[in-house]
Amino acid sequence: MNPPLAGIHVLDLSWVMVGPVSARYLADLGADVIKVESRGRIDPLRTLGPFKDGKPGPERSVSYHNLNAGKRSVAINLKDKRGCDLVRQLAGWADVVLESFTPGVLETFELDYAHLCERKPDLIMVSTSILGQTGPHARGTSGVGTMGAAMSGASLLLGWPDRPPFGTFGPWTDGVAPRFIVASVLAALHRRSLTGEGCYIDVAQAEAGIQFMAPAYYEYAASRSLPTRRGLAGSPLRAPHGIYPCFGDDRWIAIDASANRDWEALRALIGGPLEDPVLDTLVGRLRNREALDRAIASWTSPRDAEEAEQVLHGAGAPAHVVSRGGDLARDAHLRAANHFRKIDDPIIGEAEIEGPRFTLHRTPHASIKRAPLIGEHSVEVLSEVCKLSGAEIAALEAAGVLA
Amino acid sequence: MLDDLRVLEVSAPSTMLAGSILADLGADVVVVEPPSGAPGRRLEPFLDGIPGLERSLTWNALNRNKRAITLDLSDPDGRDLFTHLAGKFDIILEAAQARTPAPLEGIELSNRTIRCVVSGFAHSGPKSDYADSDLLVMASTGTPAMTGDPDRPPLFHSVPQSIMEGGAETALAALACVIARDRDGQGQQAHTSARIAAMMSALSVPLAIGSGNPELTRKGAAGLAPDARIPSSYKCADGYMIVTVAAFGPSFGPMTQRLAKWAADEGHLSREIAEVNWITYPADVRNRIASPTQLHELIRGVSSLCLGKTKAELSAAARRLGLLVAPLMDMKDIAESEQYRGRGLFTPVQIGCDGREIEAPARFAQFSNFQIQTHLPAPTLSQHTAEILIDEAGISSTELQALFVHGII
Repeated sequence: MNPPLAGIHVLDLSWVMVGPVSARYLADLGADVIKVESRGRIDPLRTLGPFKDGKPGPERSVSYHNLNAGKRSVAINLKDKRGCDLVRQLAGWADVVLESFTPGVLETFELDYAHLCERKPDLIMVSTSILGQTGPHARGTSGVGTMGAAMSGASLLLGWPDRPPFGTFGPWTDGVAPRFIVASVLAALHRRSLTGEGCYIDVAQAEAGIQFMAPAYYEYAASRSLPTRRGLAGSPLRAPHGIYPCFGDDRWIAIDASANRDWEALRALIGGPLEDPVLDTLVGRLRNREALDRAIASWTSPRDAEEAEQVLHGAGAPAHVVSRGGDLARDAHLRAANHFRKIDDPIIGEAEIEGPRFTLHRTPHASIKRAPLIGEHSVEVLSEVCKLSGAEIAALEAAGVLA
Repeated sequence: MLDDLRVLEVSAPSTMLAGSILADLGADVVVVEPPSGAPGRRLEPFLDGIPGLERSLTWNALNRNKRAITLDLSDPDGRDLFTHLAGKFDIILEAAQARTPAPLEGIELSNRTIRCVVSGFAHSGPKSDYADSDLLVMASTGTPAMTGDPDRPPLFHSVPQSIMEGGAETALAALACVIARDRDGQGQQAHTSARIAAMMSALSVPLAIGSGNPELTRKGAAGLAPDARIPSSYKCADGYMIVTVAAFGPSFGPMTQRLAKWAADEGHLSREIAEVNWITYPADVRNRIASPTQLHELIRGVSSLCLGKTKAELSAAARRLGLLVAPLMDMKDIAESEQYRGRGLFTPVQIGCDGREIEAPARFAQFSNFQIQTHLPAPTLSQHTAEILIDEAGISSTELQALFVHGII
């Protein structure tokens, strides 16, 4: 059975994470995705690790493979007018164009929606940037997902009350925004199949981040109360509910045993100070939270995190290791779900990247392939899509347009 | 855009954002709750800090534009009515709860129906019996282990993220099924794991080992400035800013160069440090042409620069000079932001049951020929049961009363 987007053409003009992840969703769903990149303006993701076996190089980034799996790559220099002409031709082939330039840049290349939809009126085009294409501060704001996280309210809420905010791990909105982009694109494809209409879609990454923070925003909007950073994990409305130290360096386990049945299981397992009748009730546990947490921590501290998880889970007390990369690599659920997929690359050999994040039972995702080398498909794409002859391609190559 | 589609959402915390995205894009979404109310109604924070089934702000935020009915799916009448209704809907959203039978177990659906099931961990196999707890799911993603100062416990978002990640991913699964159905008329089942969805925020953490690299850790992030940790935020006159100082190379290095020059122009950094080549800096340090103390000096200069300026002043300079600098906004900053207002992020919506109106940051995307609107506030418990069961399930007024008397609705 064909994957859902078989036969759909996508032109990916984006770089780093948000656009490439969005286009990878479409590639996984079976679309033919052509990525335009350039050796002169290298995708910064190619310079970011992890690199295979720790050796840096533009064709060695496993992160690049992870976000660009299954795409074809054309190297085009947009500073040359002929390069822009090629991109316009590719856009004429595409059903969907994605881009993440600083707002305004594509207009200077005459590659913005207004220009591209002249040639293809039913084009679906997505622009994504930190603050979007409109509004008083949109123009001139370029940036990375740590800035999106900061402007979505998420960063300020992560940290300890007695220290400056720590913020999110890395460019948080880079993972959030693709969901809203892909949802919008798929909805637009659905509408196009009914009405023939295309559209222009503008997603501000900070605004996407605000969606994932909506309850905190509502708290302020409804009662003018500002949520603050709490530091310690766990809800103040549940106990025990939090993370506890385990044996070893920076090893932790999360335990959520606030519901009665779970609490009784935890109590039966650990016993000792947990048998204190003052802890019989939720209110008693909330009022004696510090002592409760201390007692649980003294049980977890000498134990190996994974072993503690097994023992707690076996006893019916919900727990999970605070997973690090090593835990994920050997995680039974992730292995059984076939989450890690082997790729075989001419330069880096074998490596593992991630598979799709949902499963379709009747029309499965396309099989997972490695990401392309820079410009690996230039000749193939220019002859097949732009109908250029070998001589014309060689001339462009010689003129530095395919760099 | 989805106004031809109807969605029946058997409400669980992790279906809420899925239904909400589809509703915002135009689908007709009907939420099914047990007569005692959906679990999402008991999620904090609560309106004015007072709990109540109509007071959950998480519920209010994630159920705009939906209607709601109650139906006891463990009762034969409830199941019969659900089956009848399901035939009129295109998409069913539900969550598989670990350790309890799935609400729709055994209910037959037409082969045109799209059925999307979201689990905390797995639908089957290892960890399928793990509790669908936000704390546990997030702990298992790899993200908290990388978040926070290494001398303190790892940090977790205070807003539950597994329900956002799992919900958003489930909306994509549903839409992928819609596209497949547009082609051949056939529905199907899709499964989402909130854990795997949320691993997106762990970035490259899951990849290091499988590519022959050591595990990434919080302590290992010190990098170029091992004795002066690169601060993740800088105090300014009225809050905090994020300032990316450790951005080098041809793409981002020029921004660091401009930042250093500005700090020097403002008298917070020596010219000598401002003129270090920040584009080639990492390689220069390795080749001993540059020294790590230069980065420490830059950090000190930037700290001093920020202290004397407000979030607004620093943000304006960032736009003017093209710097990787942004304010750590609180929710008030977001509500008052000229940018978000000017762009039309907000739509008015009522919340709770006291007629209070707020502006919801509803428009997650702007479209050339469609606009996300808030047509309906989040539904009150059972608000639309009568209209939907009478109009769509052929129930009479007498039967409706009987169902209520028996606690089925």
